[in-house]
Amino acid sequence: MIELKNVTRRFGQTVAVDHIDLTVETGEVCVLVGSSGCGKSTTLRMINRLLPASSGEILVDGEDVTGMDLQRLRLNMGYAIQGTGLFPHWSVARNIALVPRLLKWPKERIDARVTELLQMLEMDPASFADKYPQQLSGGQAQRVGVARALAADPNILLMDEPFGALDAITRENLQLEMLRLQRQLKKTTVFVTHDIDEALRLATRIAVMDQGRIVQHDTPENILRRPASDFVENLVGKQDRGLKLMALRPVRDLMTPHDKPRPAEPGADGLKEDDSLRLALSVMLWQDLRQVAVFDHQGNETGVLLRERLIEGGV
Amino acid sequence: MPSLDEPPNRVITVLGLLALVLVWVLDLGTVQPNRIVPGTGYGLFAAAGWLGAVTVSAGLCVLMALAVLPLRRRYTLLGILLTLALAALPDLLVIFTSAHLPKDSPYARTAVGAGFWSLLFLLVLMLIEVVGRLRIGRRGQLGILVVILAGWALLIRQGGLDSLSLMREFSNRPDQFLQALWAHLALALGAVAISFVLAFALVLKMMRSEAWRRPVFGVVSFLQTIPSLALFGLLIAPLSALTAAFPLLQSLGIRGIGWAPALLALIAYSLLPMVRNTFVALTEVPEAVIDAGRGMGMTERQLFLQARLPLAIPVIIEGVRITAIQAMGLTAVAALIGAGGFGTFIFQGLGQAAMDLVMLGALPTIGLAIAADVVLSTLANALQPRPAAALPQ
Repeated sequence: MIELKNVTRRFGQTVAVDHIDLTVETGEVCVLVGSSGCGKSTTLRMINRLLPASSGEILVDGEDVTGMDLQRLRLNMGYAIQGTGLFPHWSVARNIALVPRLLKWPKERIDARVTELLQMLEMDPASFADKYPQQLSGGQAQRVGVARALAADPNILLMDEPFGALDAITRENLQLEMLRLQRQLKKTTVFVTHDIDEALRLATRIAVMDQGRIVQHDTPENILRRPASDFVENLVGKQDRGLKLMALRPVRDLMTPHDKPRPAEPGADGLKEDDSLRLALSVMLWQDLRQVAVFDHQGNETGVLLRERLIEGGV
Repeated sequence: MPSLDEPPNRVITVLGLLALVLVWVLDLGTVQPNRIVPGTGYGLFAAAGWLGAVTVSAGLCVLMALAVLPLRRRYTLLGILLTLALAALPDLLVIFTSAHLPKDSPYARTAVGAGFWSLLFLLVLMLIEVVGRLRIGRRGQLGILVVILAGWALLIRQGGLDSLSLMREFSNRPDQFLQALWAHLALALGAVAISFVLAFALVLKMMRSEAWRRPVFGVVSFLQTIPSLALFGLLIAPLSALTAAFPLLQSLGIRGIGWAPALLALIAYSLLPMVRNTFVALTEVPEAVIDAGRGMGMTERQLFLQARLPLAIPVIIEGVRITAIQAMGLTAVAALIGAGGFGTFIFQGLGQAAMDLVMLGALPTIGLAIAADVVLSTLANALQPRPAAALPQ
């Protein structure tokens, strides 16, 4: 658990972070979102003391970070940043091994961990371990950045716009990857972004920041349904809130289930239970369907989604 | 798949044509009755006889033909031919000497003429073009150089070039030559080593405190703007005063003239390239790399030794390389205040109007500068923090 109590950070006369209180529960993903210069990165960097707080208290699992040994504090927090910050003169394996080496793990354990992480991020260890960062694509490099942050299995992950420099498709892939990993690993995560869609997709709770203050701290659904101010309302987009809400809910919520799953006919088209309602609506509109079949992971048809049901109950 | 015929090469054709014209128009060599009197020049035909003239002209024509004819292994053939031609080039001088040097006059000597220099220069340019086309690596380049130098060394050992006035000047003073070599090396390398240590210490200080940056850059840049001769001269008075006040210094060999002011001046000149490159190299490491390393718990010391330094080393060595080349040249000027080195021959030669004595000082100075360049750029390559194979295309 991370707690910020009345934390302020000044740079000379300007106040970058203005008396904020924020609690990140263990295992949740807290996304700090806001326009550039709103203090979100500063807030993140105060947690691992890359920037000291001017006043206030920051507690990690109940312990004040100011009193903690700097290296011990940071070694226990994964850190991933925009543009990866991979060491250009180290191979992928050596980069991922950064923190385990600082912790003086034995070599076999480090090698095993590197292999495990590369596999977890769906990169073939045999072909990637010995490559150098400049030989990777942007998406691959960022995966390595995430693997490096996870290397020593820290309790806390700090991510500062890690996907900010990637193209839209790669970014979406990595966001899905993050969601998958997070379901598995349940790290306490603080994630900074300026992209509200990224925030809505990844967050357990979102903290919207403006001019150094947290203007709303709530679940994605509540942020969309009950924005606390005009600023938040503008940020989430007044008009397409409906679609954004639909994007948060899976098809499973609204489908009409069959009595028992039926094996799918070959070549049958449809949605998966995990797909969002927004995708379902899009498919229906495009193919002009009144209903669409829903399949589970094994490919069995488990139900159908009706258009009326979607329009009535989707938001 | 590579095309069967590589396109014809215009550079080599033009250079070959130019060489053919120059070698016929200019003197290949001159014969001097003694050291001072200007000699009589001999053109290609007169100097090397019809056999030599035909060989040279035919050789150049073959090179040009190889450059334009539709051939598959054009550059390999050209490379081999050019290397052999360069290795054998001094043979021309041997032929010339044996034909024209008066046997009865002990002071007579031959000198290399403009035609020979042009031929040498143009052949080297052609070889550089071929080496570039073939993408020969550093080892291959060194191999070619060794073959050529071995050809020359063989000729010199056999005594074929003894009557060349350059060789005469050398054989008159082999001890002095060796002494000059050591003095030159000691001064230049000493200055480079000392300024490297100084610059590194200064840069470490500058990285810690911003207040040091502007003044340090100001001072080292200012030092660089003083003309070298003036700086050598300016140091005479204060050093004389110092040694007069502290006789201990005198017993260490420090005087107003000699090696002490020369070394000081050379260090002063070396500081700017050294400080600039070291500073830029150590501070231009991408901020994201440092931020990530620090955020993941590396100490400042670990960051410096594992990230900044290995990433900076090629650029730092580049600074050492520039400084070393500059110092090799400047040391020649230091001979004016009695510091020794190859400059001694240059200034003696100028005083006596003996151009070949000037050459005896100038050529080794150039040679040392080139050697410093080769050694240090090889070192920088070897210390590239990532394997060359891993570099992006």
